[in-house]
Parts: sequence; structure tokens; C-alpha cells
Amino acid sequence: MSEHVAWFGSGAHTVAVALPFELDALLADWAALRVPMARHLPEAFQRDEWAYLISFLEDANLRGAFVQAFGAPTSAGDAKRLVRPAGDVAVWLPNNVSLLGPLVLILLSITGNALRLKGGSRSADLTGAFLDFAREHARAGVLRDLLADSVRFEVFDREDARNAEWAATARSRIVFGSDGAADAIESLPHPAASTGFAFTDRRSEAWIEPALLTDERVDTLIKVFAIYGQAGCTSPRRVVLVGGDDADARALRDRMLARWEGVRKGRAAANVASANVMARQWAAALGWDAVLCPDHAAVLATGAPELEPFDAPMGLPIVAASIERTLETLPSNLQTIGHVLRDPSSPAWLERVARCGAKRFVPLGRMHHFGPVWDGVDFWRQTFEEIEVDA
Amino acid sequence: MTRLLDSPPYAPRDDALFLAELTNLTQRHLAGCPEYARMWPSWTPGALEQLPFVHVGVFKHVDLVTRDAELVHQRTLESSSTSGTGASKIALDAASSALQGKSSRAILADFVGDAQRPLVILDSVQSLRRRGGVSARVAAALSLQPFADGMHFALRDAADPTSMKWDEVLALLDAHDALLVYGFTWILWQAWGSAVPDEVRVALAGKRIHFVHSGGWKKLEAAKVERATFDAALLGGLSDASRVVDYYGLVEQVGVVFPLCEEGFRHAPAWGDVLVRDAHTLESLVDAPGQLQLMNLLALGAPYHNVLTEDLGRIVPGACPCGRGSRRFELIGRVPKAEVRGCANV
Repeated sequence: MSEHVAWFGSGAHTVAVALPFELDALLADWAALRVPMARHLPEAFQRDEWAYLISFLEDANLRGAFVQAFGAPTSAGDAKRLVRPAGDVAVWLPNNVSLLGPLVLILLSITGNALRLKGGSRSADLTGAFLDFAREHARAGVLRDLLADSVRFEVFDREDARNAEWAATARSRIVFGSDGAADAIESLPHPAASTGFAFTDRRSEAWIEPALLTDERVDTLIKVFAIYGQAGCTSPRRVVLVGGDDADARALRDRMLARWEGVRKGRAAANVASANVMARQWAAALGWDAVLCPDHAAVLATGAPELEPFDAPMGLPIVAASIERTLETLPSNLQTIGHVLRDPSSPAWLERVARCGAKRFVPLGRMHHFGPVWDGVDFWRQTFEEIEVDA
Repeated sequence: MTRLLDSPPYAPRDDALFLAELTNLTQRHLAGCPEYARMWPSWTPGALEQLPFVHVGVFKHVDLVTRDAELVHQRTLESSSTSGTGASKIALDAASSALQGKSSRAILADFVGDAQRPLVILDSVQSLRRRGGVSARVAAALSLQPFADGMHFALRDAADPTSMKWDEVLALLDAHDALLVYGFTWILWQAWGSAVPDEVRVALAGKRIHFVHSGGWKKLEAAKVERATFDAALLGGLSDASRVVDYYGLVEQVGVVFPLCEEGFRHAPAWGDVLVRDAHTLESLVDAPGQLQLMNLLALGAPYHNVLTEDLGRIVPGACPCGRGSRRFELIGRVPKAEVRGCANV
């Protein structure tokens, strides 16, 4: 039931958003959850992950989804458009993901749609762990009621009958995973008027002008890479020093090495350390100039963009190339370009970005920031339906 | 060719000679295998711990071959790839194969004796018939060929441990007092340890059987079968001279196997050695668990003479009560796998 209205936009673009809760109250409840979160780190989460979740719950960040979709908040006015939650949302999460589940849960919870999330059957259950925490620690009010009544999280495998049941009843289907997983869900019978969103395998890069590399930006690069290594769609699979040369690449590698221990705390797991020893040798065999980070936490390798790639969970190739060469060697499934560029909003850069197929072109430090538009799709906005108003 | 291979496998050794020979072999590989040379661009000869190794995983991704006018490469040995991450490929050459055969014969003879007897292999004959390559399972079985006066493949279907040709086993038992039986650990348990028909059990009574198995305990641990149960099931009713020999080996160390001694340890032969390293620093450890590094003087055709494994072990100081004089170690298991998390679409 949509009983509360929040207003956005201005003039002819004023939008009334009807929600089953008072938006300010819900956002305040999410923000209040940050207090117990700051006091207690659940065992399932790493410190970096938990810190990012805390920042994600800021009122301004969550309200930003509405602003991005409907315009700046305003007082009640002469709305020409009324939007309301379109109906149940079902989300299929992949295995081996970190924060995606909790982030999707939070972001979709504020749409007013009932939410069902399926966790990966072979991965750590961060979504369930976060939901349990939130249900236990949310203060009495809108959020606690919403999590109790409108959010379901279940873990089952691809053969389970609930896949078909969810597809048949959801107004929106959101699938994160492989092409095969997305195809399997979309092939299930579903209502003709429902909408499906598939977010499949993507790769990202960091593009950096060597002259702009301060120590702070080197630290940012370490953080952005090290949190997921090669396992994240938003992680840089390679660093391109645009317009630089081999000496620039080696210099960046050496600065990352020197600063690594100051930025990254805690030891890599023994199997990761061992895999990195292997990856360094593999990369070297292929012609990369590869070195191990302290405690074998990662492999940093410099070389020409044409070198055969090596595959390592914590391996980062650093190449120097002209922008033309960079564009020629991009993956076909490019998602995010994290940039450290002098003038990234210039027409020249925007033209290149439009041409290269990237879905996101964001500052280096924002590569992992999840939002209501993903892979170029305004999925969050499309969980609402619009009512034409001509009063 | 190493002189050490002429000595008894577990006799006291001239360590300086071993180091000199391994250093020489390393230099041959560096000269003949450019990929290996690129891994170790600034190595200079030094102590055993400083000799350049190859991580076992590299063999899954890079075709390492040492080119040398004296070497004739014949075929490729492939690992069983049970982890789903691809198979290791080891380039075998004629000269190394001769050394490896001699090595495994000497090592295994120390545990099962060198008498000739029928060899029953828990595999199917079709496994032999692959062109250009040979599986780890078949290679392990063939290492016992020197002790065999005949080879008998006992499975109708290599993938089905219950497809035993018990009639042929019965015929062998009727004609011989001793048998040598080889199988991967899990297959030996399923085919023989837990499923011997009554008439075979009767025929086995009092016979002298040496069971040799390899391949690890992972599946048996999952099935909660302990070593004592395993051995007792195999040895029940047999002659007291019967034995179960569990050996550790990997395709990346073909020719060098590490049978479990009577005291529960494994010993490096005179022509091999073992180190244990810390995963995070590669520091060489003694009496502390770490990654096993295995070395041998037999690998001429590719740089698998010095391999850092993903198996965990511990060098045990002091002399072994079993009487074998070489370095001993305890095999602990595999490096534990920890999940690597991604952010989204992986």
C-alpha cells in the first residue's frame, strides 16, 4: 500500500513518489543503524567491507537514488507525474560476491517494493549476515517493520523449484552472474508485463596520467585493487598509464610496493600467498616484469599491452600505452573505467568513453561504488511504475 | 647422470655432491628453458635453499620444456586434475625416464622387496591406450612394473571401481602365493578394501599381498575412513608378510615417491631432497609446517627438478627409528583454501 508521498523535481518536472512508508523516517532508520554497526563487526565481514556498508547508509547517499531518478527534493506541489512501486522484486545473487547482496538489499528496500533475494549456494552468506544484523539492531520503526515484513532472503541452488516460483511472481527480476545463469532465469515462465535485468560478467580498468600520480592516489589504487583483486567486476583488471612509458609503469609498480604495507593491513590467506608466488612465475614466463608484494599479498607486473595475460586472483598488470593503443586492447565486456585524468569531462574523453563501450567512467576511488544505475541500466528507477496525472 | 642414483636410496649422502649436481642441473634448465630463465633472471649459485624452484601451479599454465641437443622428448605426463583447475603437463624425455624408472624401482624395492610377482592394477587397460600422453594413474602403476612378472588390469571400466574382474584375480591367486596390487587410494578402498567377494576372501587367506596406493586421503577423510581401518580391511586374513604401502608423489616429481615408513614419516632419497617454506615469506622452515618443496636430480627434459608444491608438510629433525638415514618429513595435507571474494559479477 502506498500511503506516503515524497516530492521531487521542480516546475513541469515535479514528481510525486508514493511509498508505503515515510521516506525520511526510513532513511533516518537506515542512518541510525550505522551507530551499532560502528560498534560491532560481524564475523562474516571484513573491516573494509563493513566500513563501506556504513558509508553507504548515509542519508545523502540513499536519498541520492531518488534525486538521480526524479530530481532534487521539493515540497508538495503541482505534480505532473506520479510514480509508485511497481511490485515484487526478485534478485538472484551470484557466488563469491562480497557486498553486492547487502547493497542491493539496502538500495531496493527504499523503493517500497517487497523484496526477495536468493543467495549464492556456494559462497559466504554476507546478505543473510547483514539482514540478521539489521533486523536485530534496527531501532523500532519503519525499517524494522520493513525488514520483517517485506524482505526475504533464501539460499537455494539452480535446480530448486523456487527459481521458477520467483520468476513467475516477480514484477522485476534482477540477475547477477554468468551469462548462463542469466539465461536460465530469463528462460523461466514469467509475467508478460514483468521486467528482467541481467548483470553478467564485466571487466574494469584504471586509466591514469602518470604526472597526476600523487602518493594519495597511489594509495587509492592499492585500496581499489586490493579489496577484490581480479575477482570483482569493478576491480581494475589492469592499470593503463595513458601516454606514459615503461619507466612510468615500473615507477608506479615500485611506489605501490613501497606503500603497500602502509595501506593494506592483515595477512593474505596462505593459499592466496601461494597462488601469488605461482602467478609471479607465470607472468615472468610470459615476459612480464613481475614482483611480489610484501607477504605475497599480490603480484604487480609491468609489460607491454600485447603480452599474453596471466590469470591470478591478486595479480595486477600495469601497462603504459597511448590512448589509441589502450582503446585497441580493451575487453569486449568493459564495465568501469576508474580515471585519474587531467580533464575527464572534456569532449575528447567523453567521445572516447562513448566509443569504447564502458558503462561507467568514474574517479579511481569510486570504482566500486554501487548505485541505482548499473552496467548502464537504470534498474532502480524501473522498479517504479508511472501514472500520468492531468488534474 | 647422477652418481647418487647408484647408492642405496636412504643411505647417508654426500650433501655437497647433491648440491653441486642440482646446481649443475639448474644451470642446464636455465640455459635450455627460456620461460624458466625468465622466472629467475638474477639467480646465482648458492645454498640449496636458494636454488630456483618452479611453483607446481605453473605446470598447468606454461608448457615448460628444456631444449638440449642430447635430449629426446617423447610424451607428456598429465596430472589427474582433481581440483578442476586444469592438468599439469610434464614433458618427459628418454634419458629422464630411464633415471626415473631406476629411482622408483630403488625406492619401492626398499618397501615391497624386489621379488617378481603378478601386478594387479586397479585401472582398465584402455587407460594405457591414449596417444601422446599418459595419465598420472597409469604412470604410478607402471612404476611398479620392475617388480611384475605380468601386469593385470583389474577394472572393466576405469571410472567404476566396482567393475572388478574378480574371476581374473581368483585365477591369479590360484597360481601364485604373492601379488602386488596398485590403485589410487580411493579406488583401492572402493574396489578392494570394502568390497571383496567371499570366494575371493577365502582365496586370499594366507597369501602375501603388497598393496601400494597413492593419490591422497581426501575422499577417505570425507567418508570417515581412517588409515587403521583402511589397512585392516586390506590385510585381514592375509599372511603376516603382507603390507600396505601408502606413497606420496606427484606428476611434477615423477620417479621420486615418498612411501610412508613404519614410523609414520616420509624420506627423501639420496638423489632428492625436501624443504619446507613459509607461504608468506618463502623462508625455509624446520620442525614447523609450511609448503613442501621437492627436489630431484632426475628431471632433465623440463625444470621439474625443483618444485614448490601446495602440499603442507613439516621437516622432522633427528634420526628416524625406522633406520632410514635421509631427511624425513611429515605430510600434513593441502594448503587450506580460503574464498576470494569479488564485488559482483564473477
